[in-house]
This record gives sequence, C-alpha cells and structure tokens, in this order.
Amino acid sequence: MNLRRVKSIDELAQNVPPPRDLWPAISAAIEAEKAAQAPGAQRRPRWLPAAGMAAAIALVAVGVFIGRSLGPVKFIETAGTREAAANVLPAALRDANYRKERDVLLVEVQHKLNDMPAAERTKVAASLATLRRSIGEIEAALGSDPANALLQELLVNSCQEEMRALTAVRDSGNQET
Amino acid sequence: MSIPKSYLCAGLLVALPLLACAGESGSIDRRIAVEPGGEVIISNVSGSIDVRGWDRNEVQVTGHLGEDVERLDLTTSGGRTIVKVVLPRGSSNDGDAEISVQVPKNCSVEVSAVSADVSSQGVLGTQRLKSVSGEITADISGDDSEVRSVSGDLTVRGTGKPISLRANSVSGSLDLTNGAGKLDVVTVSGDARVQMGETSEVRGRTTSGDLELRAKLTRDGRVDVEGVSGEITLRLVAPGGLSTEIESFSGDIEGCLAGSVERVSKYGPGTRLNLRTVEGGGARVRAKTLSGDIDICDH
Repeated sequence: MNLRRVKSIDELAQNVPPPRDLWPAISAAIEAEKAAQAPGAQRRPRWLPAAGMAAAIALVAVGVFIGRSLGPVKFIETAGTREAAANVLPAALRDANYRKERDVLLVEVQHKLNDMPAAERTKVAASLATLRRSIGEIEAALGSDPANALLQELLVNSCQEEMRALTAVRDSGNQET
Repeated sequence: MSIPKSYLCAGLLVALPLLACAGESGSIDRRIAVEPGGEVIISNVSGSIDVRGWDRNEVQVTGHLGEDVERLDLTTSGGRTIVKVVLPRGSSNDGDAEISVQVPKNCSVEVSAVSADVSSQGVLGTQRLKSVSGEITADISGDDSEVRSVSGDLTVRGTGKPISLRANSVSGSLDLTNGAGKLDVVTVSGDARVQMGETSEVRGRTTSGDLELRAKLTRDGRVDVEGVSGEITLRLVAPGGLSTEIESFSGDIEGCLAGSVERVSKYGPGTRLNLRTVEGGGARVRAKTLSGDIDICDH
C-alpha cells in the first residue's frame, strides 16, 4: 500500500475511475422505474380513492335512505319479500333523494335559525357545523382508507345523525296542542 | 253630577272590547277535575314550567302570566287535559309566563317549551319533556320517557327503578344520575355524564361532546356507544363478565383493560380491544370513535 502525505488539494487525483462499469445497473433501475410508472402498472391505481369515495357516498345514501324511509318497516319473511327487494330503488336515485331531502331541510333549518335569538342561533349553528365538519373528517379518512369498515359505519351514522339534528331544529318550537 | 245613560252605554261599548284585548295577564290560580291516570299536555313558549305530581285527581295551575300573554287555556276531555299558554296571533314569542302545574302523580305528562325552563318532580307516569333552548330538570320514574332539547341543558334524576329513557340534545349537555334499565342518549356537541344502576341496555352517540357512562350491567347487558371526536369514558361493573368490541380509527384506547389493546394494522392507524373477561358470555360492550379516545375499566 502506497502511503503518502498529501500537502495540497492539487496533489489529489482529478479523476478516479470506478472499479467496474456501473451504467448497466443504473440503466436497469431507471427502466424498472419507468415501467412501474407506466399506466396500468401502478400497485395502487389513482382512481382507487375516488372509487372508494363514490362507494362510501353510495353507502351513505343507502344508509340514510333506509334509515329515514324504510326504517320502521318490519321485514317479515314472506313470498313477497324477494319481490320487494327487487324493487329497491337504484343507488343513484337514492343518493339524489338523500341530497334533495337534505337540501330542503337545510333551507327550512336556515329559516328556523333566522328566527332564533342570536345566542341560541350561534350555539345551534355551531353544533350543526360540528356535525358537518365531522362528516368531512370521516370522508377524508375514507379517502385514504376506502375499505375501512369502521369509517364506513361512522359515516353512515353521522349522516343519519345530521338529518336527525336538522329535523329536530326544523321542528323545534312547534306547538303540538 | 249625573252622567247621561247614553254616555254610559257608549262608554261600556268602547271599554268591553278593550278589556277583552287586554288579555289574562297577572296572577292565575285555576283548577279542574280530571280522570285518574290520564294525560296532561302542557305548553308554554317562554318563562318557566314547573310540574309537580300530587295525590288528587285534579290539575291546578298557578303562577303569573306576562303582559304579552293572551290567555291560559285549561281544558279536559276523555282523559286528556290541556294546559296551554296562548300568545296573541302573530306574536314573536315574547310573552313570558311562569306557571306551576300540579298533576295527578300517576298521569303521563307531555311538556313543550321554546325558551321556557322546565322542571318536574313527583310524576310517576311517562314523561315527554322538550324544550328548544330552555333547561330541563326532571325526576323521571315512568317507563318510555323522553327528554329532548336543541340547545338547553338536560338534568335528569332517575329513581333507580329500571325504565326506558331517551335523552337527546343537539348542543346542550346531559347529566343523568340514578338511572336504570334502558337508555338511549344522543348529543352532538354537548357533553353527557350518565350514572346508572342496574343497566340492561345503553345506546349512546356523540359527535364532539364527551360521553361518560358509569353503570352496573346485567348479565346480558348491552352497551353500544359511538363518538366522532368526543372522548368516551366507560366505567362498567359487570358481575357476569364483559365481552368488548372496541375500536378507534386514530384515538387511543386507555383504562384498566387497555393491556389487551392491539393495532388494527401494522402500518396504518387504528387500535382495537376485543376481549372477554369471562369465557362464554357476559355483558357486551361495543364502542367506536374516529379520533376520540376511549377509556374503559370494568370496575
């Protein structure tokens, strides 16, 4: 081994060749990365979160629709049960019904809020905003984990709870006697 | 000095309608006989409603009606008695009335208020109490009872006798003591503190409020609670053992049973606690949150 004290930078070698040709391995790695990024070759397709969200929204629509419209119905095993199941509305229509019902409720609730004293209006509006924010948080979590059963259950229940709370505010103060 | 009769008549004609318009403000003391075991329905927009059960088959209403109150209706028919503070048509809910209503203790009671505070004592029948922003304070012992508010706080005392009770508030809080039997509690942003004796079923849901449940569960008791960001605290005594199904997406699971907590997945968030303190049965506890912590202990 040749040991020599280096006194200045200029004494160092300007070019140190590698002991072997590294390019073939680098080229192979680049090609492998290109192949992995090619359409259809990703391990997790980009459309998966969107599809998950769509599935979650459809699930919410189904849950809310069943909770509000079909909830009290007792299903008794009869010959007509299968026929009735076959007549269930398409998911898209249920989703539209849910959105329509919610939009109508929101308008009515806004009227009710406008009639409330300021302090009460602030308190109730904050609670409704909390519900909406919670639903947003669950949807965001579902975006990264669309198949999570806990999140799906929480989303359905939260949407149903929002509808119940909106209905309670809309109906508040109605004299029944 | 003598006043001509024609002037007197004209004066009466003017005064009578004015007296009628002036309403029934001031102190009131009205009483009516009712059928035993019937139903009493009370409504008052603003002020207060104090309901007391007594041993007579009579309903008595005492108190004070504000200037903006038109009248108090007190009627009974077919076991249904109505106590209603009536405001002038088109009124903007400003007519205060503070009324105390004595009712037969075994009757059922339904109370509706907007901003009026509601209190109730000594009623043994079913009670349905609801207020928008007023507070509700009630002793409840009748089965199938319900207390409900939008922004008012709820304070409920049970008698330790098992009943079915629903308590629902949007932004108000709930404080229930000495409950027993079945409870269904829902709050959005209000906190709920529940203390129950012998408990067969609790269903609870909170969005951002905290939920605390202390109960002694029957052998086949059921607890099913859910929160989003609110914390859930469970102190459950279960002589017949406990079987848990507890999961949080991003919150922590704590308490004396937390030694058995496991991660839901190796890389993602989420913890769960599925255990049985006694083989082959016991009370079942199910608790789920998004980000709220769950604290559970079986003593």
